[in-house]
Amino acid sequence: MPVLKAENVTAVLRKGGSARMDDSLPARFVCGQGVRACNINPHGHTRIPRYVRGHLGVVHRDQGVFIFPDAHARGETVPQRLYSVRFTSAELWGPQGSEDAAVYVDLFESYLDTA
Amino acid sequence: MNGAHDLGGMHGFEPIQPDADEPVFHAEWERRAFALTLAMGEYGAWNLDMSRFARERMEPGEYLRTSYYEHWLHGLQLLLVEKGFLSTDEIDARMRSLAAEPNAGTES
Repeated sequence: MPVLKAENVTAVLRKGGSARMDDSLPARFVCGQGVRACNINPHGHTRIPRYVRGHLGVVHRDQGVFIFPDAHARGETVPQRLYSVRFTSAELWGPQGSEDAAVYVDLFESYLDTA
Repeated sequence: MNGAHDLGGMHGFEPIQPDADEPVFHAEWERRAFALTLAMGEYGAWNLDMSRFARERMEPGEYLRTSYYEHWLHGLQLLLVEKGFLSTDEIDARMRSLAAEPNAGTES
């Protein structure tokens, strides 16, 4: 098991820990496509915030392939595509929201469905 | 999990207004909690998402009442116990000895 020595701390912090993976997976969604965030409530770790679940958004950017955190928290390293999805504030918050404001949330492919 | 960490959209919290000279650590124990978490993370017995999930499993009421590095310390302690590095009995015994000797463990 590796031991973090004091003289290596700066290098480790500078290097960081990217979760990006090299796998070339097909993309299920394209930029500009309407998507619906899944209504899921897993007991384990997940990166889909409650406030977007069930809501309609538009794919803003394909971020590439990363380690899927939900599986990684169980010790499994699974590659999955990540998208930046734009939700209007009105879609998320109803009458308290606004069509002029939006939230961009990075969401993994399995959190999303076609709209 | 639908834990207390998922705060987006909740009412009743004040806006985040960091001080202009916000320190990285507010107390020496926070510096230590960060260092211990970093050192144990590098050891490789768990990954970042396991660390996050450990923090999320804090009792919701306690999570909302406690600070950022208390969450980190809770998560670290939970993983140390779950992975067999420490027992809760050992932690409790150490806490009792520290409480009996207020200056113990505060040297930097």
